[in-house]
Amino acid sequence: MMKTEWKICLPAYKLCYALCFVVFFCVIRGVTLTYEIGVALEPAMALFAMLFCANTYTQEISSGRSQIQRLYPMDNRLRSMAERLFLQEIVLLLLSAAGYGLSFLLHRPQTQDTGTEIRIFLIFLAAVLVTLWFWGMLSNFLSCLFRNRWAGIGCCLALWIMTDSSFGKKSFGNWNLFSYALRDIKGLSFSSYYSVSGAAGSYGGTDFHWIYGKILCILLCIGIALMMPAVLKKKG
Amino acid sequence: MSIQIKNLTVEFQNKSNKIKAIDHASLEIPSGMFGLLGENGAGKTTLMRVLTTILPSTSGTVKMDGIPYTEKNYPKIQRRIGYLPQEIDLYPSLTVEECLEYLGSLSEIPKETCRKRILYYLEKTSLLEHRGKKMRQLSGGMKRRVALVQALLNDPDFLIVDEPTTGLDPEERIRIRNLLVDFSENRTVLFSTHVIEDLAATCSRLAVMKKGKFLYSGSMKELVRMADGHVWTCRLQDEAMARQVEARYLCSSKQLSEDGVRMRLVCESRPEIQCTPAEPTLEDAYLYLENLESV
Repeated sequence: MMKTEWKICLPAYKLCYALCFVVFFCVIRGVTLTYEIGVALEPAMALFAMLFCANTYTQEISSGRSQIQRLYPMDNRLRSMAERLFLQEIVLLLLSAAGYGLSFLLHRPQTQDTGTEIRIFLIFLAAVLVTLWFWGMLSNFLSCLFRNRWAGIGCCLALWIMTDSSFGKKSFGNWNLFSYALRDIKGLSFSSYYSVSGAAGSYGGTDFHWIYGKILCILLCIGIALMMPAVLKKKG
Repeated sequence: MSIQIKNLTVEFQNKSNKIKAIDHASLEIPSGMFGLLGENGAGKTTLMRVLTTILPSTSGTVKMDGIPYTEKNYPKIQRRIGYLPQEIDLYPSLTVEECLEYLGSLSEIPKETCRKRILYYLEKTSLLEHRGKKMRQLSGGMKRRVALVQALLNDPDFLIVDEPTTGLDPEERIRIRNLLVDFSENRTVLFSTHVIEDLAATCSRLAVMKKGKFLYSGSMKELVRMADGHVWTCRLQDEAMARQVEARYLCSSKQLSEDGVRMRLVCESRPEIQCTPAEPTLEDAYLYLENLESV
């Protein structure tokens, strides 16, 4: 089934444009320090996730297949949607990781020791995983709710603009959905950022309060997952 | 297996007013092939959607073998239905076999049973040699046949087909019709269409819908008998005369020939022109019924 779901939700053209997007973005967006890669990539990949995942179920509605899917058990329909979302999120995560590496290679940012760099990369991966999961699920959910992928993308875009802005940063602080990208790194000198102090919870002077935003993303994802059966029943 | 529809109403809210797509309609659909005929917008597709549990009714009752159409019973009813919608685009990037296996797994048919049924129905629909082709490589008629196979995979007691021959060439239309008759053995097949020839070739019983109501329900013979004595043929000298006659009477066919214009008229009493009575066809009967107030 996974193989079939892959063929349905990830046709060749979709993988191509996804790869092109990441490559072009990494080429265009310059970085000086490695932590800037995550700051640049997170909102861009979130934007891409909302476009990528919007059509996960609404393709069934536009093609008329939802009329026969109505006859199938709800569990199977939800499982099918979850598998498609999972596969798309994995691809997006791999692309994010590839984008990180590509930025590294193209712009040759200033680096520290390997251990520190690996830590920065793993934290980036964890943060972007939550981001991709949230924006992908939200986009799919809203598209199903409005029975139109463009309505879903539009609403997500409005939220994206509101949160990924100075207004969003000021209003939501550490609870911002883009708390990782918008975390306060000003005033940190290069050396203080990268000093390995060994103090618990500190990472060269960076605090982890931005994690509240990611916890909020996870909670919203759980809420969306709980509401999805009702939306699919009424609107699917 | 039979379907009982009693006083069914389906209403939609449209800004300021309510639209009745089905208006206090009652019908009994027996076993075998049953036709549903009606003009565009008569309510046929809405009725299909109620019967396939896609749409809930506003009022009235629908029962399948005594089981009422309530939300609690939907899973039980859905397992017994096969549905071929009017417009459906099955997965273009999957092969025929992959597509049917996927849909079979979603409807919880055991894998081995599903595989056997797929091969059986692909052979019956002359698609076995095309099973490795992607859906987008198939012609319109072939895609429709695959869609018909998906409707039969769960071995339904009640098969609902909504305008299955629309847009197909004559050969494909005949093929689909013949397949439906083959598959109607030990099943109830509700065949909805606005193409009268299709029903004439396949069904012995039918219902005629207009503006959400059933104008007629019963045997084909009885419907045709209703129009007995109300169909006339005439031959007119020229086009101008033919237009005059057309303006006064309901014309079911018109043919230009070397010796003038041949027309077939449907009216309550003999027209006031030289004409001869004719044996009514289903098409004549349908026209007579649809325009009963004006003929």
